[in-house]
Amino acid sequence: MHAELVQERGGAHTGAAIEMHGIGKRFPGVIALEEVDLVLARGKVHALMGENGAGKSTLIKIMAGVYGRDAGSINIGGREVALRNPREALAEGIKVVFQEIALISEFTVAENIFLERHPVGRAGSIDWKKIRAESAALFERIGFDVDPAARTGDLPVSQQQMVEIARALAHEARIVVMDEPTSSLTPNEVALLFKVIRRLTDLGIAVLYVTHKLDEVFEIADTVTVLRDGRHISTRPIGEHTHDTLIQDMIGRRIDNLFPRSRGHAKGDIALSVKGVSTDAKLDDVSFEVRAGEVLGFFGLMGAGRTELAKAIVGFDPIRAGTIEVAGRPLKPHDTRTGAGLGIGLLTEDRKGEGLMLELSVQQNMSLAALGAFSRAGFVDETREKAAVQGFVDRFRVRTPSLNQLIKNLSGGNQQKVLLARWLMRGLKVIVVDEPTRGIDVGAKSEIFALLDRLANEGLAVVMMTSEMPELLGLSDRIAVMAEGRITAVFDRDAATQENILNAAIA
Amino acid sequence: MPQSLDAAHPVPPPAPAAAMLKALFRRSEIPLLISLLVVIAFFSIASDTFLTTRNIANVLGQSALAMTAGIGVAIVFISGEVDVSVGSLVAAVAIPLIVVMNATESLFLGIAAALALGLVVGAVNGYLSAYLGINSLIVTLGTLFILRGGVYLYTGQTAIPDEAMLESFFQIGNGRLLGLLPYPALIAFVLLLAFAYVMRHRPFGRQVYAVGGNPEVARLAGYSVKRVKFACFIISGLLATVAGIMLASRLGSAVHVAGLGFEFQVVAAVVLGGVSLSGGIGSLFGMALGVLILSFLSNGLGMLALATEWQLVVTGGIIIAAVAFDEFKRRRI
Amino acid sequence: MTSESLSSTRKPGTAFGLFADRSQIVLIGILAALCIAISLAAPQFYSEANVIAILRQCALVLIVAAGMTMLLICGEVDLSVGASLAFVGCIGMDVINRTGSLTLGVLAALAFAGTVGLFNGIVATRLRVNSLIGTIATMMMLQGGVFLYTREAVQNHHHLPSFTGLGAGYIGPLPIPVIIAAIVFVVAFVALRYTTFGRYLYAVGASENAARLSGLRAERLKLIAFVVTGLLVGVAGMILASLMNAGQPTAGRGFELTVIAAVILGGTSLSGGRGTLIGTLLGVLVLKVIDNGIIILRWNQDLQMVVPGIVIILATWLDIVRRRADAR
Repeated sequence: MHAELVQERGGAHTGAAIEMHGIGKRFPGVIALEEVDLVLARGKVHALMGENGAGKSTLIKIMAGVYGRDAGSINIGGREVALRNPREALAEGIKVVFQEIALISEFTVAENIFLERHPVGRAGSIDWKKIRAESAALFERIGFDVDPAARTGDLPVSQQQMVEIARALAHEARIVVMDEPTSSLTPNEVALLFKVIRRLTDLGIAVLYVTHKLDEVFEIADTVTVLRDGRHISTRPIGEHTHDTLIQDMIGRRIDNLFPRSRGHAKGDIALSVKGVSTDAKLDDVSFEVRAGEVLGFFGLMGAGRTELAKAIVGFDPIRAGTIEVAGRPLKPHDTRTGAGLGIGLLTEDRKGEGLMLELSVQQNMSLAALGAFSRAGFVDETREKAAVQGFVDRFRVRTPSLNQLIKNLSGGNQQKVLLARWLMRGLKVIVVDEPTRGIDVGAKSEIFALLDRLANEGLAVVMMTSEMPELLGLSDRIAVMAEGRITAVFDRDAATQENILNAAIA
Repeated sequence: MPQSLDAAHPVPPPAPAAAMLKALFRRSEIPLLISLLVVIAFFSIASDTFLTTRNIANVLGQSALAMTAGIGVAIVFISGEVDVSVGSLVAAVAIPLIVVMNATESLFLGIAAALALGLVVGAVNGYLSAYLGINSLIVTLGTLFILRGGVYLYTGQTAIPDEAMLESFFQIGNGRLLGLLPYPALIAFVLLLAFAYVMRHRPFGRQVYAVGGNPEVARLAGYSVKRVKFACFIISGLLATVAGIMLASRLGSAVHVAGLGFEFQVVAAVVLGGVSLSGGIGSLFGMALGVLILSFLSNGLGMLALATEWQLVVTGGIIIAAVAFDEFKRRRI
Repeated sequence: MTSESLSSTRKPGTAFGLFADRSQIVLIGILAALCIAISLAAPQFYSEANVIAILRQCALVLIVAAGMTMLLICGEVDLSVGASLAFVGCIGMDVINRTGSLTLGVLAALAFAGTVGLFNGIVATRLRVNSLIGTIATMMMLQGGVFLYTREAVQNHHHLPSFTGLGAGYIGPLPIPVIIAAIVFVVAFVALRYTTFGRYLYAVGASENAARLSGLRAERLKLIAFVVTGLLVGVAGMILASLMNAGQPTAGRGFELTVIAAVILGGTSLSGGRGTLIGTLLGVLVLKVIDNGIIILRWNQDLQMVVPGIVIILATWLDIVRRRADAR
């Protein structure tokens, strides 16, 4: 069916599948995209690169019909299209594979493949036989080994991601957009993905491949467009790029300056001691120690158990076995109150879901953990509270019009500073940070990074969960590597290299 | 360089036997069916008159109202919304039904008038909830009040008797197939099968599940979330109307206090039947089992000559236990 | 956007801003318009007797609504308050009949109502049953239970004047229920606005996970809110019994809906984290002034059900429109 589609449109000019010109999009207080051009050729892989906050996701959400655009034109086959909602985008043959899983977890895999249009038989009944048979055939064709009758929510994330990708093949798509498709895939699955992409291009489908992984771009892309701060920086054939030129386009400066390698921190007494911690869900006999003033970096592939470990050691999640001691005193598991009292706190990776109180103000968000310290007989001394909050706003350079601003109106970087201040106001001995720079723009990233470095120098023990290699290598005094809920290796900062860390993570 | 190195390690799929057992246990119909059988077995032993064809047929007849309205309420729940207006709606639709029948002596016109009211109420609930984005609990609480007040205003707090005395109308609520199975039970059963088919085998039904399960994903898949929810409210309005017509036939008039508290009874049965308040989960057969459990329980307790109030107490306890069990199960498995 | 309904997001320095934000100004406007319109049509609206009557009507609702506001702020709801209200009256009256002691009667009522609150709280926080469903179930159990407890109204056999005074008495010009409601209101207002407990309730409602990660005991806070609501139902139940001079098992039907309507009308969000007691007070006043207007204008009293239904939908919709405008 795809071959026919291609021939049918064969006469269109220049072989462009979609032409976007002068695309602009603004959100309250932010210009997300300005004057962005993007032209995708049929049968080619076009990579879209850029740092977090560069505007990649805004652009593809406009293509998917999730956002409307404020300026610019989009042409498909020489026709201007509106793309007012996802339905119109699908009707134009634009299929977007989002990074977040867009599947109904209660449905079977096969039904999710045909979610956009259930095939119906006589009398309008859904043709379940066809759904099962065609998805089985599809999986067979691309060599993807999963049971079409399985409940989608039961599959591991990486397989769900593959289901999403396979879904792109089941539809009469002309343009397939993939947003960071490999972020949760194993190497085998990545190979499978590239096979799928080549199959798509053979059918004359244009593929937009959004990523910030350089190696993949050099392997799969024909052309690269780089965005930075919502603007179009460059579009060149991949042959004209080297690693360095691409990075320069993306960052606009040299990477070394972004995450300066800290001088190393002076170590004090043991601040956190974790012995034999296991949980029902993931962790298996995890033990480690961190000293005051030390940064212990945790690395692991997705699903290795970093976040689970972070939540267990601060007392958020229950544990099955093991002990946790903060500065020599035992922490009661599954009780964050004693945890906070002993001086251990978590800066969560899920800011919206577990960190922020979106409908409350900067002040209320920041003072939450330390409120008891500002109160007498249960009454809050708001003058002292306000003074303390203002102090941290100044010290951390939180950009907010006032302390009464709702936190949801701040940028990701400023939100993260507020959450960090929430803990520091309380006074901690150990801070556990989980992906501290996720979803934060480049400038704020290095600010957070410098802040953590300074805190360690001031004597705080820092446990850092991260998947960003530069962050890990730049800040950690020691690096622990996790795989499948266990610690598989611990390196001193001088012994750690990308290669031996990765080897330990895959083991 | 800013290189993210996330990747998942392969997880072997669960063994087929374990997976099947898990799937079986996850289906809320199985524990419900067992519970229903336990209830029936208990009362069959405790009372000689319980397990008779006549009594079973009667219970089925009594459960028909909650079952019919419950289909609609369950569908609204599955779409991720709530509808508690059905309690007043069953009373309200009796008014156009009886008034038009009294004026025209036509059952057909009466039913058409009742359905028209149900359609309008469903559309108003749906428009306010789906299109204006007002919390559907508030909307339908509001219409619950408005309709009940409207019924009181119109009737002056008395019943409007059926003066047309049509035999066909009488039969709807009181007739029995082969002199045994009450027609309401038959109607409810047919509607149940029809809507169960829709929910399982029509694209619309799957859209309802998708919209309730994950509205963002449904939107990305090209569904109109608003339109689907709107349709669910209309279905609920129409099914509550059918329940109201059966009730009016049984009562032989439009009674202003009919259906007081009915919304809670229906919601309780729907939730007991494993339909999740958060949307996307549950089945109509589960809902039907929930209704039957509560009906048999109420009937059986009555036979044991326990005060009818015990039924309320026991029902309340069972609902808490059932939902708590559901939650427990979800966290464990 | 500093105009959200949390009083601590007020603009500092403005006296008015201390007590009301924009959504409440709308309510004050509605209230003023209602009062003017009704008094134009019926001058007796401002008579002392009528004002006292309105306040007395408000008192009962406000006492329970204060607790319900706390519950909604921390993200829960209690639909059993109406059924509990009736049960409490019967128990309180019965205990006084048997012992001749008002104190024992009130204690029994509070103990019972507090236990109901505790039960609701345990079901919601420990068994993790959605409180909407859990409290409907409690409502059923109480409705059944009250008739098992007493078939008909528990009459006043003790004739204690202090008991009658609870509902019908005055201190100075003010009816005792109004004074009780005022005390409850002030205490709850201070608790929500100036104490860590209040701030924690908002936090738990705004994001339970964030609150827990920050070392708050979210479940315990919710439990307390349930118990407080229960205790307040106990207070209101005794006042109602005094006003009716009997423990009526059928009293309080639909009371839970009135209370929730008033709280939501006052701008408290069903999804938690947002709301104020000032708003709740205004919500109660608006509903009860409408009720009163319907009576003194000699309109059909059945409108008393229709109007709140319309008002609650309208108020929620206005709130959505306002927030959308704020977001621009």
